[in-house]
Amino acid sequence: MITFDNVTKVYQKDWVALQDISFFIEKGEFVFINGKTGAGKSTLLKMIYKDEEPTKGTIKVLDQNLRLLKKKNIPKLRRKIGVIFQDFKLLQDRTLEENVAFALEVTNTQPRDLRKQMLEILTYLRLSHKKFSFPYQLSGGEQQKVAIARALVRDPYILLADEPTGNLDEKSSQEIIDVLLDINYKGTTVLMATHNLKLIRKVKKRMLRIEDGKLASDE
Amino acid sequence: MSLRIGIREGVRTITRNASLFIMSLLVTSISLFLLSLFAFVTVNLYHFLNILDEKIEIIAFLEQNADYEALESNIMKINGVRDVIYVSSAQALKDLQAELKETEEVLRVFESNPLPASLRIKLLAKFRNARGLEEISDKVMLLRGIRETIYGGELVDQLKKITGVITTFDIALLLIIIFSVVFVIFQTIKLTIFARATEIDIMRLVGASNTFIAIPFTFEGITQGIMGGFIAFVLTVITKRVAVSFLSDIYFPQGYFFLGSILCGIIFGIIGSSLALRRFLK
Repeated sequence: MITFDNVTKVYQKDWVALQDISFFIEKGEFVFINGKTGAGKSTLLKMIYKDEEPTKGTIKVLDQNLRLLKKKNIPKLRRKIGVIFQDFKLLQDRTLEENVAFALEVTNTQPRDLRKQMLEILTYLRLSHKKFSFPYQLSGGEQQKVAIARALVRDPYILLADEPTGNLDEKSSQEIIDVLLDINYKGTTVLMATHNLKLIRKVKKRMLRIEDGKLASDE
Repeated sequence: MSLRIGIREGVRTITRNASLFIMSLLVTSISLFLLSLFAFVTVNLYHFLNILDEKIEIIAFLEQNADYEALESNIMKINGVRDVIYVSSAQALKDLQAELKETEEVLRVFESNPLPASLRIKLLAKFRNARGLEEISDKVMLLRGIRETIYGGELVDQLKKITGVITTFDIALLLIIIFSVVFVIFQTIKLTIFARATEIDIMRLVGASNTFIAIPFTFEGITQGIMGGFIAFVLTVITKRVAVSFLSDIYFPQGYFFLGSILCGIIFGIIGSSLALRRFLK
């Protein structure tokens, strides 16, 4: 499902973010990407949805060599990948419902399908009763769930989570992890970047550890 | 579908970021007004130069009893002549009297009309220079019945030189102003787009196409352009009204100015928003 083959990413001024990274992730896997802040976890995730280009090496996602993927086809790739972040990236001037609908509308979903898909995902994440609330009226955990709803509403093959529990307390973090595990159980491949080793040990899933831009372990 | 949502998003961003939109609109209006003002001065400058140019002519004085109709048709055949107007001796006196209204007595000194009949020869634009005037004048002088010709000569060439310098200076200034206006509008639109970076980020993330992302911002740019163009036009009309009270002969093609302001607003709005969006849509 995701293949990295000797991938190196060098930013300006010869700053090496990632060096010779190789791994393979199968369909339906749950994988943690672990490393300190600045180790290159976010860069790695960004390369999967082609927000960053590797300087060297090959990346294949959903059987597509990303280097050969034309610019006009990038949106199509992104529609198959959901992404969530530490800072949620919600539109503060829109209700929960509008935030989720936004992801469907901008990808041209028919209004009837839109309502159905939205209702399903909000019910699944137990958010239906808050659909008219604005993000600032929700707790951190709830806001992250809205971000998950937005990422999942298009039924993606892969879900990328970049430090999704970074801003949350322990209880909310656990809730989010449970949701991600459940999503994975239903068949979606999940990649979660986190520096929190305690959390990883509790879940017992595959972990790719990155140190100074290199793949230090795959366990 | 996507156009409808795009426009809805555009309207939404305008209404939800009203203060930002108004600030941006104000800058656009003032920039377009400056451009319109410059166009207004330029149009009048060219209008004035055109009037001067039109006045370049050859006056051929006729001998007494010359067959002016035959001369007229012969002169019309000369290459470079656009029109020939016959001014009879009586008409010439009448014109002079009109010009010298206050010193009419001077003319009473003469017992009979001392002014000869003449032909005013108008030239095609490319012959309105010292060489063209001389060439045509020489040909006219060869005709029987012509006593003398007069024309500006070198004075005309001086005028042409000055006109050339003014035109070059004017075009250079116009380019600088257009560049500045586009730059200012672009910077302002960039500010408003930066304010919505998260929105653009999310749209890219969920797989919206670049065209779709551009619709609301282009819509906003066009709206701002139309409104800014209209405000600039109204300000120019007010300026024209003020100018009329100082200068009598003001040329102001209102329709062209209206269309020009709106079109410039739309074009600059589109250019500004697409330039500003470019850095987001990698």
